[in-house]
Amino acid sequence: MSLNRYLKRYASLAASALLLCGVMNYALAADTPPPAKKYKIFLSLSYSGNNWMSETANIIKSLAKTPPYDKMVDLEEVISGTDPQAQISAYESMIATKADGIISFPISPTALNRVVRRGCSQGVKFFMFDSTVTEKCAYNISYITAGAGENMAQFLVNTLGGKGKIFMNRGVPGTSVDKRHYDGAMHIFSQYPNIKVVSEYYGYWDDRISQRETAKALAAHPDVDGIWSELGEAGVLNAVADRKGKMMPITGENMNGFRLGFINDDYRKRGLTGVSAGSPPATAGYAFKLMMEVLTGKRKLEPTNVEYPLPWATADQIKLCKGSTIADGCNVFAGNLVPEGFSTEIYNPTLLPEVTLDSALKGTPTPGMTIQPLPAAIVKAPDEPGINCEHCQPPVDQYRLTKVTATVQP
Amino acid sequence: MNTSTPVNPSASPRRDQRTGSRINGEYIAPLMLLLLTVLMIFASRLISPALGSWSQMLMIVTLSTFLLLVSFGQGLVILSGGMDLSVASLFMFGGVMSAGAIGADGGNVAYMLPLILLGAAAIGAFSGIGIALLGIPPFIMTMGTGIIVASLALGASGGSTLGASPPLLSALVKGSIAGMPCILVFFILFCLLGIFIQKSTVFGRNLYAIGGSLGAARVSGLPVTSVTIAAYALSGLSAAAGGALLTGYSDGATLRMGDPYLLPSIAAVVVGGSSILGGKGTFVGTIVGCLFLVTLDSVIAATGLSQGWRQIVSGVVITLALLFQSGSDNALAVWLENCAKLFKK
Repeated sequence: MSLNRYLKRYASLAASALLLCGVMNYALAADTPPPAKKYKIFLSLSYSGNNWMSETANIIKSLAKTPPYDKMVDLEEVISGTDPQAQISAYESMIATKADGIISFPISPTALNRVVRRGCSQGVKFFMFDSTVTEKCAYNISYITAGAGENMAQFLVNTLGGKGKIFMNRGVPGTSVDKRHYDGAMHIFSQYPNIKVVSEYYGYWDDRISQRETAKALAAHPDVDGIWSELGEAGVLNAVADRKGKMMPITGENMNGFRLGFINDDYRKRGLTGVSAGSPPATAGYAFKLMMEVLTGKRKLEPTNVEYPLPWATADQIKLCKGSTIADGCNVFAGNLVPEGFSTEIYNPTLLPEVTLDSALKGTPTPGMTIQPLPAAIVKAPDEPGINCEHCQPPVDQYRLTKVTATVQP
Repeated sequence: MNTSTPVNPSASPRRDQRTGSRINGEYIAPLMLLLLTVLMIFASRLISPALGSWSQMLMIVTLSTFLLLVSFGQGLVILSGGMDLSVASLFMFGGVMSAGAIGADGGNVAYMLPLILLGAAAIGAFSGIGIALLGIPPFIMTMGTGIIVASLALGASGGSTLGASPPLLSALVKGSIAGMPCILVFFILFCLLGIFIQKSTVFGRNLYAIGGSLGAARVSGLPVTSVTIAAYALSGLSAAAGGALLTGYSDGATLRMGDPYLLPSIAAVVVGGSSILGGKGTFVGTIVGCLFLVTLDSVIAATGLSQGWRQIVSGVVITLALLFQSGSDNALAVWLENCAKLFKK
């Protein structure tokens, strides 16, 4: 048999097989309703490896598996590391595979702008959570503008009666978030000449480094009166507690180990007090739900900057959750359920009722739960140059206090 | 057959006369460094009167212990002429495993902790096998192993490192025994053990020979392959022990906890007078190197300088410490010699 005849025979076989498939497909399609549109969503993380980042990813994954999104969303996670270039190329390939939406923790507020703009022009919706970009066509959903730095600083000043020596435990040097918090705090501290910052160090938003740096600072200044800290505050608390003796007011973010300190009788007796505020992983869930409402057409929203409310719990408002259920306004988990560095702000009764401890730890949906609609109103974030806009003016009252009032006058 | 061999006069043991002093030349660098460290502690009193206190000393010893454990293994590997870039990952491995697999109840610590350390030694040996048997450059092989371990940990944990510090490890760092802090006892015992392994065992002496000249060591019939593999295995083991101890200190572990120990572990070895090319150096030097780096760090932290300046000062002091090391082949001596030549012209 010649090659030509072989080809002809197989070609005709293939054609009839195709025809058969088509007929069967048609027959099946007539019975079942057409499936809902599948949305191709990418979750793009920059660095990973700390509790905070895995919690945010798990919350998004659990929501994507909660009905009705479990049948509508095709979610793929990409971790690209701390190099902006790697995240740029990750975005590029997501755009190339015709993503409907990209939900992301951006590594830089400016480096990604060009690729984001290109994606927008091809119809991709970009939703940034917690960290932000200055590109106008992206949606930024973040607590950064909510004033963690200045509110915590004022709380500390109030507690100290306007005078004393303090430490400042900063985050990762050079990041816009660290700068925003620090500037806000310094705006307050600089008004009080009797508040002396005796040591300022970078804890890299990591409890181990924060603990080591705080231990060093304590050796030099054992008479410190208070500590202002960004993420890593569980380590700060450890260093202070290890020293035995007197403790002091500490303001920090919402690590579980830190909050547990506030309900530790021994620590309270030794003088520990403070406030727990800062970056909530729940923002990621809120951003995802907002994104899905925009994609499915339930909400008409042009790209904008949305402010997530600043979590705020003073030492006397800390309440232990019974087991792993979040109810009755409890806001800290038992130490055997989660690590010290677990960020407790994973839930919000109006914005994120779908989330439980398992969602944040394992990325599993809550049984029997369906996605609840978000409130119609959103809170627009004020313009902050270099954070959520490029050529803009910050509002005059950028560092206005929202959670505390000054009880001590400068 | 003549059974008596003629005595070669040059082969008779002689005292090291290179420095002309009674002290062995290789101990001058650590001695200078120790002097500098003590000086730094006294000078730091000018910055804050609280410095130089017992609690600060204890803090320096505690923080040095983590670095010392990593530097011990790193030192052995450097002595053999290699370098271990996987210590950061193995440090993290030790920390994450003891937080996750042992945890707060600590019932299984008696068999889990040795298992974890053995596992780390096996990973180290894997690097050693690649280097000694397959001839892969240490730099690349250990980097590869480090990436594999770090990625496995990231994949297995999903980024979240659940667990808490085993009570045994916490007690080791924070507890005290008959009035003496446990960590100080541990530090001293480990120093003695390290000095013994590097200086007085056949294994240690073989490392000097291999690092000095690999070819000569092979020709002399030394077990080059097994000694090299053992050095990397020990490096993995001691790095993991450091991670476990840090978990005890900070009540938990994260995936990036080893990163701040990689470069300082190499720096401690080199500042302590070892040659980065291998074959030369003492563990005493490494111990002083660790104490020096941690003291420098904590003194600078107390200055109130901004972070940028602190790092500049730290970099300058480390460079100076290297310049002032002993030996005719050090940078300062070469520089002075060149100056003299210029002058003569």
